[in-house]
Amino acid sequence: MNITKQLDAKGLACPMPIVKTKKAIDTIESGEVLEVLVTDKGALNDFKAWAQAGGHTIIEQKEEAGVLYFYIQKV
Amino acid sequence: MSNKVAIIASNGGLFDAYKVFNIATAAAASEKEVAIFFTFEGLNLIHKQAMQALPMPEGKEFMAEGFAKANVPNIPQLVEMALELGVKFIGCQMTMDVMGLTTADFVDGIEVGGAVTFLEFAKDAAPSLTF
Repeated sequence: MNITKQLDAKGLACPMPIVKTKKAIDTIESGEVLEVLVTDKGALNDFKAWAQAGGHTIIEQKEEAGVLYFYIQKV
Repeated sequence: MSNKVAIIASNGGLFDAYKVFNIATAAAASEKEVAIFFTFEGLNLIHKQAMQALPMPEGKEFMAEGFAKANVPNIPQLVEMALELGVKFIGCQMTMDVMGLTTADFVDGIEVGGAVTFLEFAKDAAPSLTF
């Protein structure tokens, strides 16, 4: 997977992970992939809903040592 | 499907501010068009001075520590974020007149209007929320 940009949103509480992800995705091109690191557990459902709202695709997600990783391909 | 979220902010406490601005920024970050109508005590949430130190509900002061621990942004930061994301702030003209306030008392970028201004925006919004 080719990651264009990484966003570290660890330690941030709702709604900041989503707000920062929105800002980050605005800086990449269609088809490119944004990696987001987040520790807010609400993100598990929020990112899915957020991606759906914007038409973006979460191509992969994982959890390692309490950190959630999302790989979002811009629509 | 509606792409608009309409919010009425009619209370002026710290918790009210979080409820309003969290939903508003989350919606705006999810490609929604968002407008908030600030009326009565809700005007505190965008008042330049009042927004800096909104009151906690009585008896809930102990939660201040929890807010700090959870790394929750403060209200002026959320207000700035909301404006940056294009959230429209509508101040209630009637309440402002009653309280002797003008747009200069509020954060930059607010519109002033009456109930009809909000209703016109909200007529095809889903959800419409009141806090």
